[in-house]
Amino acid sequence: MLKKWMKIGMVTVMTSLSIGASIAEAAGVLTIGRREDSSTFDPIKTAQNIDFWVFANVYDVLIRVDKSGTKLEPGLAESWEVSDDGLTYTFTMRDAKFSDGSAITAEDAAFSLLRIRDDEGSLWSDSYSVIDTAEATDPKTLVIKLKGPSAPFLSTLAMPGASIISKAGMESLGAETYAESPIASGAFTVKEWRRGDRVILEKNPNFWQADRVSLDGVEWISIPDDNTRMLDVQAGQIDAAIFVPFSRVEELQKDENLEVHLDTSTREDHLLINHEHGELGKKEVREALDYAIDKKAVVDTVTFGLGEIANSYIPKGALYHKDDNLERPYDPEKAKQLLADAGVENLTLDYLVNAGNEVDEQIAVLLQQQLQQAGITVNLQKMDPSQTWDMLVDGDYDLSVMYWTNDILDPDQKTTFVLGHDANMNYMTRYKNDEVKALVAEARLEMDPAKREQMYMDIQTMAKDDVHWIDLYYSPYINVSRKNIEGFYQNPLGRFFLEDTVKNEAE
Amino acid sequence: MHRYKFVFYRPLQLLPVLFGISVITFILVRMIPGDPARVLLGTRATPTAIARIREQYGLDEPLWRQYFYFLENLAHGEMGKSTLYKIDVLKLVMTRIEPTLMLVLVSVILSILIAVPLSTIAARRQGRIADHAVRIVSTMGIGFPPFWLALMLIIFFSVRLDLFPVSGYGRDPLDKLWHLALPSLTIALSLSAVLTRSLRGAMVQALQSDVATAARARGMPEGIVFWRHVLPNSLVPTINLLAINIGWLIGGTVVVESVFAIPGMGQLLIRAIFSRDYMVVQGVAMVFACATVLINFMADVITVTLDPRIKL
Repeated sequence: MLKKWMKIGMVTVMTSLSIGASIAEAAGVLTIGRREDSSTFDPIKTAQNIDFWVFANVYDVLIRVDKSGTKLEPGLAESWEVSDDGLTYTFTMRDAKFSDGSAITAEDAAFSLLRIRDDEGSLWSDSYSVIDTAEATDPKTLVIKLKGPSAPFLSTLAMPGASIISKAGMESLGAETYAESPIASGAFTVKEWRRGDRVILEKNPNFWQADRVSLDGVEWISIPDDNTRMLDVQAGQIDAAIFVPFSRVEELQKDENLEVHLDTSTREDHLLINHEHGELGKKEVREALDYAIDKKAVVDTVTFGLGEIANSYIPKGALYHKDDNLERPYDPEKAKQLLADAGVENLTLDYLVNAGNEVDEQIAVLLQQQLQQAGITVNLQKMDPSQTWDMLVDGDYDLSVMYWTNDILDPDQKTTFVLGHDANMNYMTRYKNDEVKALVAEARLEMDPAKREQMYMDIQTMAKDDVHWIDLYYSPYINVSRKNIEGFYQNPLGRFFLEDTVKNEAE
Repeated sequence: MHRYKFVFYRPLQLLPVLFGISVITFILVRMIPGDPARVLLGTRATPTAIARIREQYGLDEPLWRQYFYFLENLAHGEMGKSTLYKIDVLKLVMTRIEPTLMLVLVSVILSILIAVPLSTIAARRQGRIADHAVRIVSTMGIGFPPFWLALMLIIFFSVRLDLFPVSGYGRDPLDKLWHLALPSLTIALSLSAVLTRSLRGAMVQALQSDVATAARARGMPEGIVFWRHVLPNSLVPTINLLAINIGWLIGGTVVVESVFAIPGMGQLLIRAIFSRDYMVVQGVAMVFACATVLINFMADVITVTLDPRIKL
């Protein structure tokens, strides 16, 4: 009886072993593990990084951001000219083809840009409403007229949402089919999308820089569990994994088969303060909070020393970052003094925490302890992330930690959201300073880079002085790859340069 | 033949069950605070953009009307559109059914393959060391948290021994089985523990039953007594236990699918809940409800076939 079962067991194990041996990895296909699967390939219908990062492999844009993340460089537009009044942009398109072999024309570019501005399903209409008209005067020439001058306009063309799609393709396939199996303008085409599991990309032979691409293909594989994803790359079943938790870096660095990448990002974690809530409207109270928080301790415990203390809302490595911005060193006594001077006693604050987010929860407990030292009582309210957003928007909070990564190179986007006093109430903080408001609007229109840089320096100083929020830390993108993978790099805006990635024979 | 009458009217009961499930999930998922439009657009969304998305998906309509639309869609064999994936929920769910179905199926088969021999050994050596060992092991099997067990299995079988893949779901049938080995083992280790305890108890009873004693008195060898009388008689309660556990099993797949990155319904459900993708949550709940009802129905058919005394 038992023997029979053993036999069956043996046969099962043997067959599974032989299957295992028969599956050989396709040469030159890079497999990358990530937390979630893509949601669409329609560039205008998503706001998620997880989608954007794949768009950069599949679509090209008119103007790209370079590897350093601080300069623009030609993409599908070979060159461009701006009229003196800053209202008319004339782009010359380069000779390039879509994956179906048809030429990429100025007509396609105009179509793509008007679509992100006008389409009902576009999540980015507001960012492109500055476009008045976009016309192809001939197949190689695109003329865009703006409603008003806009210094960040060129930068917005580099955003993955503004990816160039095929007009004819979209019209014949329809949006739903295109979103599933798109006609590519970038380095790779979508060979197959196994929903919930993986996106399989194949080298696009019609890409205008096809010579630059070494990989035969890329597979973006969804492995939601952090532990499993790391084990997958450790066992060599995938070539690379992104979203490495801070806590795993040291262990992975010790593995001689792996290389851990700490690539500069534009991520900043910060503590939002609701300026409309009671004593938080007083500048001294907000200053006291800043003095009471030991950012070094946050960097050391939460990011395992991998982050860096933040001193401005414009992150280090991003355009116009102010390096010597005002910093308030950790000083709980000074915090107490400031509170006393402001006549504030027994300050009690509600701190909104994203439940289930390990890092957010750690920061919350740490800040609660630190603020206690300065005599401030903090009540932690753990909420589901989707719910915290609603509460932040409604102003139903005193403190909360959030983070931001830049979508575009130009600082205007973040500055407008955070300090521009527009519809989102300065990123839910309800911060008010008319001088800052005016300067933000002015900087958007200033076309002289030197003057503009000075304006952003001033904005950073003023905002920091007002304690519009409390800058906590900058942190890198943390990715890991096998040793045989070369050039696996993510720029500060999150773009993976897979066109330059090489997969060597594994030893 | 009238014993099988329930086969005809039981499926009708599915209708009120599904109606109840649809109302409950419809209300529950909307009671969780949070807004699908905001999740979709992120924190940078302007109020106008959010209002536009809410209008597009009919989220600005009163609840009763939204439910009415949902029923109307259902009558046309549609389940609405996913806010996150922007495609039909039915289409989305269909792509995810197979991995979960396979996972449940392989887990159940594996559980039976573990439970039947173990309980046979234990029952036939009742009170001896083998019996105690089986009972201790099965108690431990119930106690392990699945996500921990899963990681341990991965570390041992995939990373250390390199026998099975760490995660994922294969392409052709054999490849899929190979990928499902560890996930279904994770489920089977706890499920078989439950089954073993029940089956062993039933076997011990059947071994001492009058039928078995009578058979032995007629000079029937113990082995044949076991196969002919003991096993069939002890299977009935276990099959019902298995059917009851299917609900729990489906819940278990949610955890196991996430750990092993299997692109099934469980993972879809989790992401849908976090994204407040109402239509997808409703769709998955309906499919799970149908599956549970269907499996219990099948268990009833098997029970009636195995034991002629039972009437339903």
